Amino acid sequence: MRRYRIVVPILLAALVVGLGLERAKAQAPKEVLIGVLLPLTGNFASLGQQYLWSNQTVEDIVNNDYPDLNVPLGPGKGFPGLAGAAMKLVVRDDQSRGDLARTLVEQLITVNKVHWIDGEGTSGNTSIIQPVVEGYGIPLSCHPCASPTLTEKGFKWFWRTGPHDRVMVDSVFQFLKDWPKHGGPTDLKTVAVFTCDNLFCQDNHKIALEHAAQAGFKVVADLTTKTGATTLASEVQRLQAANPDVLFFVQYPAETAVFQADAKRAGWMPKVIATSNGAYSDQTWLEAQKKTNGGAAWLGRDPTAIDLASKKPSWKKVNEIYKKYSRGQEMGELAMRQITGMLWMADTINRAKSVDPAALNKAAAETNLSPEMLIIDYKGVRFNKSNQNELATGVVTQIGWDGEKHTIWPWELAKQAGYTPMYPNPSWQERDAKPKPAR
Amino acid sequence: MTELAQAVANGLQMGLLYALVAVGLAIIWGLMEMVNFAHGEFMMLGMFGAWWLSATLGWDPLVAMVPVGLAIYVLGVATYSQLMRRVQRGDAFAQIFATVGLLLFLQNGAVALFTSDYRFVSDTVLARLSGTQLSILGVKLGVPLLLAGLLALVLFIALYLLVDRTEFGLALQATSEDRDAAMLVGIRPQRMFAVAWGLGAALVGIAGVILANFFSVYPQVGLSFTVLAYAIVALGGFGSILGTLCAALLVGVVQSVTVVYLPPAFKDAFVFGSYLLIGLFRPQGLFGRF
Amino acid sequence: MRRAALVAGLVVAIAYPVAVQMTGYTYFQTVGFLVLIYATLGIGWNFIGGWAGQFDFGPHIFLATGAYTAALAAVHWSWSPWLGMAAGIVVSMVICALITFPVTRLRGHYFAIATVAMWMIAQPIGATWELINGSRGLFIPLTPATSSWEAIWTLGWGGRSKAFAYYYVALGLFAAAMVLAYRVDRSKLGYYFRAIRDDQEGAEAIGIDSRVYKTLARCLTAAVFAAGGVIYGFWALAVFPDQVLEMNWAVLPMISTVLGGIGRLWGPLLGAFILIPISQVMSATLGTGPLAGRGLDVIVYGIIIMAVAAFRPNGLLSLPWARWFGRG
Repeated sequence: MRRYRIVVPILLAALVVGLGLERAKAQAPKEVLIGVLLPLTGNFASLGQQYLWSNQTVEDIVNNDYPDLNVPLGPGKGFPGLAGAAMKLVVRDDQSRGDLARTLVEQLITVNKVHWIDGEGTSGNTSIIQPVVEGYGIPLSCHPCASPTLTEKGFKWFWRTGPHDRVMVDSVFQFLKDWPKHGGPTDLKTVAVFTCDNLFCQDNHKIALEHAAQAGFKVVADLTTKTGATTLASEVQRLQAANPDVLFFVQYPAETAVFQADAKRAGWMPKVIATSNGAYSDQTWLEAQKKTNGGAAWLGRDPTAIDLASKKPSWKKVNEIYKKYSRGQEMGELAMRQITGMLWMADTINRAKSVDPAALNKAAAETNLSPEMLIIDYKGVRFNKSNQNELATGVVTQIGWDGEKHTIWPWELAKQAGYTPMYPNPSWQERDAKPKPAR
Repeated sequence: MTELAQAVANGLQMGLLYALVAVGLAIIWGLMEMVNFAHGEFMMLGMFGAWWLSATLGWDPLVAMVPVGLAIYVLGVATYSQLMRRVQRGDAFAQIFATVGLLLFLQNGAVALFTSDYRFVSDTVLARLSGTQLSILGVKLGVPLLLAGLLALVLFIALYLLVDRTEFGLALQATSEDRDAAMLVGIRPQRMFAVAWGLGAALVGIAGVILANFFSVYPQVGLSFTVLAYAIVALGGFGSILGTLCAALLVGVVQSVTVVYLPPAFKDAFVFGSYLLIGLFRPQGLFGRF
Repeated sequence: MRRAALVAGLVVAIAYPVAVQMTGYTYFQTVGFLVLIYATLGIGWNFIGGWAGQFDFGPHIFLATGAYTAALAAVHWSWSPWLGMAAGIVVSMVICALITFPVTRLRGHYFAIATVAMWMIAQPIGATWELINGSRGLFIPLTPATSSWEAIWTLGWGGRSKAFAYYYVALGLFAAAMVLAYRVDRSKLGYYFRAIRDDQEGAEAIGIDSRVYKTLARCLTAAVFAAGGVIYGFWALAVFPDQVLEMNWAVLPMISTVLGGIGRLWGPLLGAFILIPISQVMSATLGTGPLAGRGLDVIVYGIIIMAVAAFRPNGLLSLPWARWFGRG
């Protein structure tokens, strides 16, 4: 029993030291501290890790000299506006849990005394930390958070450079509505909406139903599934029976794989599959489609025309930096949104020439970034009254036989991309028969 | 009518896979009465094993089953001998505590080793057959799932014979029923428990390898299957291997038939609802002995 | 000696946030809040798990019921959270009685899965029910109070005083739960619960209706979870299903109780007092820096849990504390 006499004090001492270290860090001068709160473990870890890599990329860009990289703070080391101060990420993992997120954000603010908070990466937990950060009065940003409600509650300190779901779902239905005038099919009349059941999915679900009606589509099926489905065979059976022309599909990568397997087994493929985020934004899912052709001709909303953006030299360079942190994974669209947002933040801090919260918020409000400085093709960054970037746009892309996304809307960008949309969706046999882009 | 028949057929096919996931739990939890929250994590490890062997050595999951199964067997035995043997001295609730720790450890160990990316094991023997179907009276059956189901069935029958028909199996059952009496007749309970843990873990690991043909692989994949597995073992009844099989098929059919007519968001709710309903009439599950 | 320890503990608990307030690190008040909330839930779970000895894996459906009831009343009729809490407790207890009594026929692990079943059925209801706004959830509007009395009535603290005030709210709730547990523990009810746990047949032989008392135990659990849910909802200002029906609301109180010592009055507090700060420290040390994102924080957390379980399966209160700290 003697050993407990030693173990208990050691544990207590470790606790004290652990918390003490945090204080010491907070006092380190000459650094701009960015509190980063992300779901690095638990259910949303696959999102959290991409945002972490993005943030590490931006930290690298700001703190190191990239002379010919045309993004904010690319050339030169540190923040010139703050006498070369470096940017330092203070990362916290909330295990995808709201109570931890809510607590850790308070730690970042009061103990670590960070100057800016970026997080939480998912709309749900972001809505929990919003009132806390608002209460303490320091800037908060979540760029890939897509729920429209985040910027509709009148928070003064919350900023978002990325587009929200309303913009993005709207672009899909705009495209479908105008497609006949631009050489598309004229016989698309019915739509089925097939979504998962959490906050993000149901936001999309609601908006999709509204826009489908506005665009003149008849909704023939509306199915919501629980996240974590082990089979979707019966759902496919119902969708097949409803026989929609367009399937509006919002599911995470795991469920998308299940859906594909079950649809293939049933031999079903609707004429058009339109998606929003979820698997379509997930780089690993996209890579996997190159081995099976399973994603060919799927179309979906994206915040950027990735085929055009990736021609920019700055995009290529940022992608190289990103791959240092992502263990070789390419920069996907979620990472692009996050990196763009973080670079905007760096620019804002630099312009504020201070880490005083009021100065930061003022600089943020005065933002007017031109599109040339971005790695994503927003029309720029400029905020409306609710701190939403009004120049963030949605585009519609389609996956081609080469496994890459191609821009098909807006029409002028589609012309630049020079890609003709595939229609209708190829059958499963055709997908199997065609050569696969990877191997 | 074909609609219903198709749904039943789909349900039976899935049920066979569920049975394979559940049978490991039927041994650890159902037979030996030890709670294991980390059951799904062993399955996840099996899936990652299949993915890793496929990505690095190009092994097909059908081959990978053997080494992965053996490795997870060892892991299961180690879990018992290093952790659960000590935990067993305490209250049954301590097992929850310990296996929650194990769950966090294994799940995030996978995050550390493989990141939280979604992985896909494509280009396997079963995946290459994925377009092929058998059509019986208008009911379509996917060949790969059918083959996987048959494989599950074979493993299941082998296990049933092992537990119900061999001396080893009898020793296992004796240990679960009365440890002291088992010791008197010369059985070493701790060894039996260790083998049961190894067997249970290996079976769900093999299930993971087979499932990797059909599902994406990521560290958090375990939960949705484990929750169903718990329902299946309880529905089938404790200590009954065949009960587990019947319950798994029933769960598969309930899932797919209800979803054809009712809101799909309630799919698992229907499964658990039927558990509650059946529980009112059969508090020991369908085939439970105790 | 016992009394002196209790008074000392109380003084520390009350003085702690004041001391912290002076340093400005209000975060430590919030950690205190979280410890108290989980300890309270652990006490709640102790009724069904510790005293009545039933596996209950789904007590958090009552946390959700309480939180939703109070949030609905606040959003639609601007009810005070205290009224909402009263309503939430009543609603949870009624629902608990209705759904628990039938399944008390099931014993042991079969009962445990029945509680899981209730959780699995609650999930899609929470995600799709339009009245409570489905998965989009309810957001409680933040209305800063004009006077401190009003703030106590509406729990409407904002900014830097919020952590301070909510700590005391949680402390009050914890004290109430503690008193309830103490009284039940000493009463005939507690004796019946333990009798059922230790020997159900024996208990029935002396005329204890095990089904009624199991239901009662779970309703006490439900009441505590509902009250905790209301406080949590107003603290987070948001109630949505992904949040309140999350598995950790069942698992953490449960493992806190087991860690401290199941069926012991002070077990949940001791467990929460260790588990909650550890996970915070882990996130701030191993979850950050160059190794961030590798899950190391949770890996080590898992190892600590396993180590404690392996060496002290009966909880930390089973250690010979009295011998270490002397008898005087």
